[in-house]
Amino acid sequence: MRRSFVSLLTAMTFLVIAVTGVLAFVRPFSMTIVGLHALMGFLFIGVVGFHLANNLRPLKRYLRSKWMWINLAVTAALTTAIAMQPQPVKALLGLSGNLGPALDRFELHDDGLTYQYTPAPHYKLTLSVRMGDAFDPADPPEFAIWIENSSFYHIRTLHRPESADNEASLPYWSFKVKEYEKAKLAAAAGVDVDAISGATKNSSFDPADYMLPVDPEEPMPYRILVEINQRGDANEAVDDQPSLIYSVEVDNSDPHAFQLLDLIGYPQLEEDEQPPQWAIYYVDQRFDSALELIDSALLTIDRDKPSD
Amino acid sequence: MKPHDAQPDRRNFLQHSLLGTAGASMALASTSHVTVAAEPDNQPTHEATISNHVDVLVVGGGTAGTIAAIQAGRTGAKTMLVERGSQLGGTMTTGGVAFPGLFDAWGKQVIAGIGWELVRESVELDGGELPNFAKVPQRHWQNQVYTNQFLYAILAEEKCHKAGVELAYYEFPQAAKRVADGWQVDCVGFGTQRRILCKQIIDCTGGAEVVGLLGFDRLREEVRQPGSMLFKIGEEHQPGREQVHRLYVHGADSSNSRTVTQANLTGRRSVLAKVRAEKKRLMHLQPETGFRESYRIVGETMVTVNDYTSGRQFDDAISNAFYPVDLHTKTGVRPKPLKPGTVPTIPLGALIPKGSRDLIVAGRCLCSDQLANSGLRVQASCMGMGQAAGVAASLAAQTGTTPMEVPLAEIHKVLREHGAIIPGKA
Ligand SMILES: Cc1cc2nc3c(=O)[nH]c(=O)nc-3n(C[C@H](O)[C@H](O)[C@H](O)COP(=O)(O)OP(=O)(O)OC[C@H]3O[C@@H](n4cnc5c(N)ncnc54)[C@H](O)[C@@H]3O)c2cc1C
Repeated sequence: MRRSFVSLLTAMTFLVIAVTGVLAFVRPFSMTIVGLHALMGFLFIGVVGFHLANNLRPLKRYLRSKWMWINLAVTAALTTAIAMQPQPVKALLGLSGNLGPALDRFELHDDGLTYQYTPAPHYKLTLSVRMGDAFDPADPPEFAIWIENSSFYHIRTLHRPESADNEASLPYWSFKVKEYEKAKLAAAAGVDVDAISGATKNSSFDPADYMLPVDPEEPMPYRILVEINQRGDANEAVDDQPSLIYSVEVDNSDPHAFQLLDLIGYPQLEEDEQPPQWAIYYVDQRFDSALELIDSALLTIDRDKPSD
Repeated sequence: MKPHDAQPDRRNFLQHSLLGTAGASMALASTSHVTVAAEPDNQPTHEATISNHVDVLVVGGGTAGTIAAIQAGRTGAKTMLVERGSQLGGTMTTGGVAFPGLFDAWGKQVIAGIGWELVRESVELDGGELPNFAKVPQRHWQNQVYTNQFLYAILAEEKCHKAGVELAYYEFPQAAKRVADGWQVDCVGFGTQRRILCKQIIDCTGGAEVVGLLGFDRLREEVRQPGSMLFKIGEEHQPGREQVHRLYVHGADSSNSRTVTQANLTGRRSVLAKVRAEKKRLMHLQPETGFRESYRIVGETMVTVNDYTSGRQFDDAISNAFYPVDLHTKTGVRPKPLKPGTVPTIPLGALIPKGSRDLIVAGRCLCSDQLANSGLRVQASCMGMGQAAGVAASLAAQTGTTPMEVPLAEIHKVLREHGAIIPGKA
């Protein structure tokens, strides 16, 4: 193959690999970037093959020189050092924004959905929501799943709705997320986020801190919530039944493998409050099909003993 | 001036004095003077030994007893209420636990009646706010009703007075025995001895004191839940809006004067230490430790924690109850909420000391295991029981039978007429 073509192709594929490699290091995990990096890598291997064939003679010379052995030794030493990950290497890797493939997995099936979260190999949380009779796969409801701490602060959204207009559809979750943004800013500014139960215990925004508390004597209870809404589900009483909220409390000091989420109510804006707040109200007779969107929501937590 | 010369209509006079308002014939309006009314039974106050003949004797004018007495009076029974302390309300007022709950469950009211009437009126008079029961509280206690303990105590007195209940403070039963037509109960107070002949006794002493005095079996845990001393240091205190602080008094036991003395000494000593340590002003201190647990009766029916958490509908249910299982221990408390939709009920049998006649209890001493009791003992439930006991005892007194033999439908009917909510029919 033409020398100039192969050389340029080698250089360009290398450029893509180099850029995606750096991006994969500094940015959060992205299938696009990692996919590009890997597949371009295979192409690069092929192009390098042609490049070698084009430059066989000088290469043979290199292989016979003493630099060959020095190179081999340096590469082997660096590979071993990086692979063993001593502290400086760890610190360097720690700078990466890519925490590896997502800890959570979300799947939608015909009859429901499964959400899995694995903050540690010995702790696997699975939320299985079985959809009810009112669930129409052709026009599925909007829903959000999130975690709150025991002071009812949003910690992390596990599943966010696809629609952009969440405030109308899932007002409670949207409100909680906004509160969270404020609390996060306050926490960054050093303000006590949770005046009731003490800042240290509850001010973390990392779900893993709740599921795998550092001090087992001081577990941090949390709740998982689901808000679900089928838009425009009119009935005799209302034009659109409000969203419904299901919840379950998880307390690692009182572990259960299986827990069902309970329907706790529907959100309503309290305009008298300053600033206006969303509160939950008990479901009343206005609800019919909305109650049939979810048949059941089961939380399963597998807690194996951590391997030392 | 002799008190009864001052005002011929004693009942009216007493009512106005209690209210602090003046009737047309009384020159009280612009002054802060009030005159003590005569003894209701026309018995001179200087006489050391007095006697009463009543249908229903309520012992203990606390959370449950106040309601039981008002109900018995309203049902037409001649009622006397003997209270060892100086005011009505018990744990709610003297103990300072002025946040009764829970009157609602899962979006609707499950306990109403006289207790709710009193709580609601004291909140309204205080300019306070009643919770919105349709709203899901983030914590169960957010639907407790913040009440002004001082107002509650005097409103309760007013209601007792209107229901014709005779009050005897600073007195307690010393001996009791069966007589032909019911009971003879001898009470003592300082400078006073009283003999009461009654047809029915409602024991609302918290620790089933009268049941113990009569020799019936009682239960008591080796390790009881702590009591709490309620106080406030720091800023100005607005009763009814702001709540006071609490500190656990472990080992607190309301069984007798010696254990109560010990609990009070311990609680007050700790408050003093706290005031010294925090270098703040002491703004408020309840006169007595609030006790969570002492004796419970051995009743005809025992409410177990499973009955409670499963919301068992007892055949002889007379009132609802609602609260998480709420056991306080050395390490604090983690209330265990009830499953959605669950509303426990209280059977009449749990208020009747086993093998007794003409005797009924109400309040935290009902027959239940420790865990069930940790949820049942709360104030709205105690009030519900108190009202039911008041009906059962007065109907029994009227018909010459015992509370357990009064037809349940009759009890339910009278309860409903007096605004109570009957289990299963909320
Ligand atoms: C610190 C604390 C916190 C609590 N928190 C809550 C809460 O948040 N919400 C809630 O609803 N409930 C709460 N409770 C529970 C609730 O307050 C009590 O269980 C309930 O008030 C008990 O009512 P009772 O009528 O059985 O007894 P009490 O209210 O204690 O009444 C007993 C009365 O009998 C009198 N007495 C006793 N012995 C005699 C005798 N021998 N002769 C004459 N009179 C006698 C006493 O002086 C008292 O007035 C709490 C309790 C405590 C102590």
